[in-house]
Amino acid sequence: MWKYTFKRIVLGLVTIWFIATATFFAMHSVPGDPLSSDKATSERIRANLEAKYGLDQPLLSQYFIYLGNLAKGDLGISFTQENRSVNDIIREHFPISATLGILALAFAALGGILWGALTALYRNRWPDTVIMLLVILGISAPSFVVAAFSQYGIVNLNMWAGTNILPVGGWGSVGHMLIPAAVLGLSTMAYLTRLMRSSMLEVVNTDYVRTATAKGLPPALIFTRHQLRNAMLPVITVLGPAIAGITTGGFVVEIVFAIPGLGRFFVEAVQQLDYTVIMGTTVFYGAFLVGMVILVDIVYGVIDPRVRVDQ
Amino acid sequence: MSSSPLLSVRDLRVDFAAHGGRVQAVRGVSLDVHRGQTLAIVGESGCGKSVTVQSLMGLIPTPPGRIHGGSATLMGHDLLASKMIDGQDIRGRLVSMIFQDPMSSLNPTMNIGDQIAETLQVHKGLSHADAFRRAIELLDMSKIPEAGRRAKQYPFEFSGGMLQRAMIAMSIACEPAILIADEPTTALDVTIQAQILDLLKELQAETGMAIVLITHDLGVVARMADRVLVMYAGEIVEQGSVDDIFYRSAHPYTLGLRRAMPSNDPQMSQSLLAIEGSPPDLFDPPKGCGYHPRCEHAMQACLESPPAYGLDPGHSSRCWLHHEQTSQRPDALYFQSSQGADHDPLG
Repeated sequence: MWKYTFKRIVLGLVTIWFIATATFFAMHSVPGDPLSSDKATSERIRANLEAKYGLDQPLLSQYFIYLGNLAKGDLGISFTQENRSVNDIIREHFPISATLGILALAFAALGGILWGALTALYRNRWPDTVIMLLVILGISAPSFVVAAFSQYGIVNLNMWAGTNILPVGGWGSVGHMLIPAAVLGLSTMAYLTRLMRSSMLEVVNTDYVRTATAKGLPPALIFTRHQLRNAMLPVITVLGPAIAGITTGGFVVEIVFAIPGLGRFFVEAVQQLDYTVIMGTTVFYGAFLVGMVILVDIVYGVIDPRVRVDQ
Repeated sequence: MSSSPLLSVRDLRVDFAAHGGRVQAVRGVSLDVHRGQTLAIVGESGCGKSVTVQSLMGLIPTPPGRIHGGSATLMGHDLLASKMIDGQDIRGRLVSMIFQDPMSSLNPTMNIGDQIAETLQVHKGLSHADAFRRAIELLDMSKIPEAGRRAKQYPFEFSGGMLQRAMIAMSIACEPAILIADEPTTALDVTIQAQILDLLKELQAETGMAIVLITHDLGVVARMADRVLVMYAGEIVEQGSVDDIFYRSAHPYTLGLRRAMPSNDPQMSQSLLAIEGSPPDLFDPPKGCGYHPRCEHAMQACLESPPAYGLDPGHSSRCWLHHEQTSQRPDALYFQSSQGADHDPLG
């Protein structure tokens, strides 16, 4: 298990290096730069920036300076926002995005497994039909549409109640988190429901479930110990990519609900060609995703003993 | 065998809903299982032998499956009505079962010891630690070396033969009265097959359990069985002691099976004879005797269902050839000793 974990982490670091390199060269192939914009920067700032990033040196030297800073954990200073380092931006705003993302993921995973198992148990009866219909809706509806509709719903609810039961936007209390997290996790949950359903239907007909029945185990035990655990394996496999879906989808939901998460900075930085913020947030998100995928792999190893063995 | 049977099945009928009709998998099977006895059910694929026992164990999916006739009594308890006695499942406790493919019959994400232990926890109320300790003893009884270490391993770390031993250990955990073995050695190679059969015999001698052995291998039958039921097209066509079936075959199908079995007896150097044709479509079974479309002795009467003709005590055959007015008396078949000549059936 330790060897397995170590191998995953080393591979993860290589992946992060690859992301950093690709981002760096992609950014430098974009025409124009922030220093040559209309709002001319002063000579001193320009000189300082050139000294720090080696902007007057060849691309390859810049690349090594960038990698050196990255290795020290220094993501640089924003080109457009005064006196803010990329590290500060991430430190302030990422916890908000992460809280939202984790809530959304928990909502999606628990909901997906629950609804999937339920539809499999009630296969071809009305609960199955109704849930699968909603699932198709959940997969097809874009998150900004669902977000807008849910805000409309919140407003109506508040008007009906006469007080503010749930806030329409912003950040701060648990009430601010619930609806955005549900909206953010919705399509992932719908996808996981489908996956769990088919996986569960496969497991129900396996020989080992027949063995469990022939042993005379109570149905609840057969369900939890022999069916659910095995049916969850494919769901856990896609949780890694699902985290990617939720973090990228987060940009849109954060903007609709006016949540001060990291997503907004990421999008704005691209519009303003803020090199350091773009590269910093991209590498950071990349590293975060790699970390999540490794975590999923480790969880997978815990649940399925066959994965643990090193070939 | 005068004592009352442990398990008594009468006229069991099972069918499955299929596209545009029902497949009649079991068409009136009656059988008795006696204490300490090994009953073999033989027949080719699709004759209904597995469905018979799986329907008794409640393992056929319903729907599409349906038990639509007959009765099954286990120690005075109506088995078809409920699998519970005093709130406890009889399966795994009074009757247990092992299956054809040990590779897929165990949960891949649970270690072997826990899978055996959970039977004991559920039926005997043991704690996990006690049940696990007992599981190691059971693995040891099933001749798995280093049982303590092996109990913590997972199915993918076992070979097929070892998994079948683990399945056997699991099935005898609660000392059942009946062990149903559904083709237990079909997926294993021949040397392992012999070891597994020996193990079953040994455990039977120790615990006195009855074994219901389902197989299509007459070699396995000869080695293990006390009594044999020959099934064809969802019906029992002949039943008797293992000697009755092998030396006094009274049904043309049994004879056909025997002729298709290889032998190393130099006197039987004739080439193997296959039974012509293929098993009937149970969607629309043949009228009368299910075997008549393939039978070399078929006659007009075979369009009616034949009764079971008792030949000797415990030996019976469902074939019109045993009717006293039938003109044919094929030499290779056995007829009731008082009527037939004293001939050697293998001659």
